[in-house]
Amino acid sequence: MFNNLKTRSDAISAKLASLSEKPPAIDWNYYRSAVAKAGMVDEFEQKFSALKVPEPIDTQTTLINTQEAEASTTAAAYIEASKARIAQYEKVLDKFKNMIPFDQMTIEDLNETFPETKLDKVKHPYWPHKPIAEL
Amino acid sequence: MNPKQLIFASNIQTHLCLQRHLLVTFFKTGAPLCSRDVSRGFLVYPPSLRLFAEGHAEAETRLPSGATTRHFHPSNMLSRLVLVSASSLKGSGALGAGLIQASRSLHTSSQSLAPVPPLPEKGGKVRHGIIPEELFQLLYPKTGVTGPYMLGAGLLMYILSKEIYVINHETFAAASIGAVFIYGVKKFGPSVAAFADKLNEDKVAKAQEVKDLAMTSLAQAIEDEKKEQWRAEGRSMLFDAKRNNVAMLLETNYRERLHMVTNEVKRRLDYQIALQNLHRQMEQEHMVNWVEKSVISSITPQQEKESIAKCITDLKALAKATQAKATA
Repeated sequence: MFNNLKTRSDAISAKLASLSEKPPAIDWNYYRSAVAKAGMVDEFEQKFSALKVPEPIDTQTTLINTQEAEASTTAAAYIEASKARIAQYEKVLDKFKNMIPFDQMTIEDLNETFPETKLDKVKHPYWPHKPIAEL
Repeated sequence: MNPKQLIFASNIQTHLCLQRHLLVTFFKTGAPLCSRDVSRGFLVYPPSLRLFAEGHAEAETRLPSGATTRHFHPSNMLSRLVLVSASSLKGSGALGAGLIQASRSLHTSSQSLAPVPPLPEKGGKVRHGIIPEELFQLLYPKTGVTGPYMLGAGLLMYILSKEIYVINHETFAAASIGAVFIYGVKKFGPSVAAFADKLNEDKVAKAQEVKDLAMTSLAQAIEDEKKEQWRAEGRSMLFDAKRNNVAMLLETNYRERLHMVTNEVKRRLDYQIALQNLHRQMEQEHMVNWVEKSVISSITPQQEKESIAKCITDLKALAKATQAKATA
């Protein structure tokens, strides 16, 4: 995705570099001597120097700015969510770091640290206290 | 004698129960022991060691110590028996239910210690598989090394000679069973214990693996999240690139327009010049053709014959000249 943007940007900048800043000047005197028709060259010269090429108008920059603002807000929201996730992960990581080592645990400690290991003796009153398929 | 006979009878019961009890405890780890007899609710004697001196009360002190878990004593009787039974067949299945009982005794006996000290690895030391080491240490100052043995021998003799314990058929049965049992335990005990240990260790290793994996993956996830945040910060660069692109396109367009204008003007002027040249060329050619045509048409037949004759004579002369040159 970023590669597409890059290729496009590169194409655009290459195109820009290929065009010279100013077009080559027209040698009016040569034409004045060469062209037989009288006054034509002078007329052209006049009109040419009077001509003003309009600069193309910029329609996209505002769009881009709005896009940027949008992206800022979404990015901020994403960063907030990401921070929340990091906090969660850190909490679990701390729990793992601070738990007692396995060979010093009892079953009660195990059930406290990992609630999913607790055997539901109410639901399955008979040993092994869990459905056979889960053994 | 009635009370004594009653005590007598109850002693037999207790002895038999004790045997069964020990057998049972060797195969279980601290779980409810000797249920049938225990449920009759023996009196609990605080097994202070002075009762050892009294013969028939000894058994009764030994039995309840393993049976109940309610009344705790700073002595090591309870935890010792339980831990003995636990240590002889260590950690089968659960992570030592016997250890739970030991920890409970630790909790309620001493003042509250926090953090809870780790559970003891091995039970109390015993000599000859049953008799706690503390007895020997207790008697050592007064009677030396052989003290407890003498005590034991004396008690045994007393019991036998006074027929407090009567030797009967069951004695031999018990002796044989005891012999076989002890042989079995001594022979196969270590390997079975190693096997059970290995089972436990596998479980612990698996749990440890899970824990390690979880920790590494969590750390990795945290790293990734931080990286993503860093990436999100770079979005301004993207938009700058976009704006750059737009500016470049505009500039390109403008230059293209300038170029186009110049080129068009140039083309028109060049066209004019080319047109002029073409005209001149055509006129030239036409004139040349016309002159040629008129010249050719002006050649009269008379002039033609003369010129042809002249050409022939010139050729003849030339041929002669070359022939002469060739022969010479």
